[in-house]
Amino acid sequence: MKRITIGNALSVPVFAAVAALCIAPLAILFAYSFFSVSFVAIIKDPTFKNYARIAGSSTYRWLIFKAFLSGAGIAAITAIIGYPVAWFIAKRVTIYKSALLTLLLVPLYTGDLVRIFAWRVLLGAEGVLNSLLMWIGLVDKPIDALLFSPLATHIVLAYNYLPFMVIGLWLAFEALDDRLLEAAQDLGAGSRSAFVRVTLPLTMPGLIAGALMVFVMVVGDYLTPQLVGGASGITIISAINDLFGTAFDWPLGSAIAWTMLAILALFFALAAIVISRSTLGKAMAGGEA
Amino acid sequence: MISRQQNILAYSWIWIVYILMYLPIAVIAIFSFNSSEIIAFPLQGFTTDWYAQALTDGRLLGGLKLTFLVAIPTALFSTILGAMAALALTRYPMRYRFLLLVFVLMPFLIPKVILAVAQLILLADLGIGRSLWTIIAGQTIVILPFTTLVNASVLMRIDNRLEEAAFDLGASHFSAFKRVTLPLMKNGLMASWFIAFVLSSAEYVLTSFLSGREQPLSILVASDFRFNVSPALDSIALMLVLANIALIGFGEFIRRRSQK
Repeated sequence: MKRITIGNALSVPVFAAVAALCIAPLAILFAYSFFSVSFVAIIKDPTFKNYARIAGSSTYRWLIFKAFLSGAGIAAITAIIGYPVAWFIAKRVTIYKSALLTLLLVPLYTGDLVRIFAWRVLLGAEGVLNSLLMWIGLVDKPIDALLFSPLATHIVLAYNYLPFMVIGLWLAFEALDDRLLEAAQDLGAGSRSAFVRVTLPLTMPGLIAGALMVFVMVVGDYLTPQLVGGASGITIISAINDLFGTAFDWPLGSAIAWTMLAILALFFALAAIVISRSTLGKAMAGGEA
Repeated sequence: MISRQQNILAYSWIWIVYILMYLPIAVIAIFSFNSSEIIAFPLQGFTTDWYAQALTDGRLLGGLKLTFLVAIPTALFSTILGAMAALALTRYPMRYRFLLLVFVLMPFLIPKVILAVAQLILLADLGIGRSLWTIIAGQTIVILPFTTLVNASVLMRIDNRLEEAAFDLGASHFSAFKRVTLPLMKNGLMASWFIAFVLSSAEYVLTSFLSGREQPLSILVASDFRFNVSPALDSIALMLVLANIALIGFGEFIRRRSQK
């Protein structure tokens, strides 16, 4: 038996599982996005009505825009916080490297719910932070705006997804050859110029990979805005959720879902092009080219 | 190149980030032992009542049992599929390598609510009722990217020449795999199982869409979280954190051992 036959045979169940549990459901979702609903029955006559409704509704347009805006914003915030952390783990520590990486990932394994619960305890009106501030006399009455606000949502989102950004950046920093920086210095570059012209371009693939991961997870996050966002917690994802639940309009929900998927796919395609053109991307693709 | 000042700045930044990462966990740990109904400063006194209260709650214990019934098979299936994907991606040449990579990553890149509603429609169209099996199927596919990654990270470190040596000594593909590669993969498989177990038990969105009348722990806890924040819930949260960290730590320990 040839090795390629084994490779193909091994991949068949994986292809089958993803096709059955991911691609087939999304295909049916796509079909539903052209149906319509009348009272409690779904009418299977193809129509573009749902997409027209999304395009014509300023609420849905705003929610979709808000989702991507949040995604981009959190990606930028985590990049700024995570960049020094990734550099530090890759370049400044040796013995503690794996400990620092593990410590970074541990909060991820506590689960979304527990993390959100912890932030509610921390930020609530009668919560830990407010009671601490009042106890030490910094404020007279609790700051209500801490919890159930867009600010709270964004703090928790940044907290949740920072590790993904750091991992992406860390991989890029590990691949960065320090001698290039020495060469830049020998050629007279200052630390700022060396950073802008050597470090930043070479870590760009990691930055893009990290940003993309954070972006897609923030766009798709359902629990965080729901549980700490209060009135601001209505997102396009929660709108999809409602259309499949209480509002019972599966076709419209499907159309919104596919609008989101199409926009996300556009971002993936762009990121894939940028990464594959970089040196790191070429090294990772390796044997394929 | 890097001045002393910048060094101090870097160290303080790292400390701040790591402290903030653990602050929420520390807070729930402290208040789960605080003898007051209200989660607020100043601290009142030490108690383990909240734990006693949580551990004798029959509804939550029932949910915990269901969580195990879902997480054990989910971890097994996603580990087997992930190992197959990792073998095909790293060890065996194959025709559609890039396509396989895209397939494996896809469940990670699609927002979970969207994937969940899509699976819900499929189930409705096929007339399949929601049960523990539908949760297992849905979770297996979203955990697949993680198990593939864990297994691939172990496989990439295994020297190709070991298998070649086995071939030279007359081993067939199957016996070379069974006697050389599989023993070297074993620790990765176990680590992947633990990680998958933890991810499965913590998964909420997919579980809530795909579960029928039997509701695992994450669903019960979520509905409690939504309405109130009590010290008893706090103690549950801390127990979940500790159990997950212990499992992951154990898995990591096993995986590390394989790299020495």
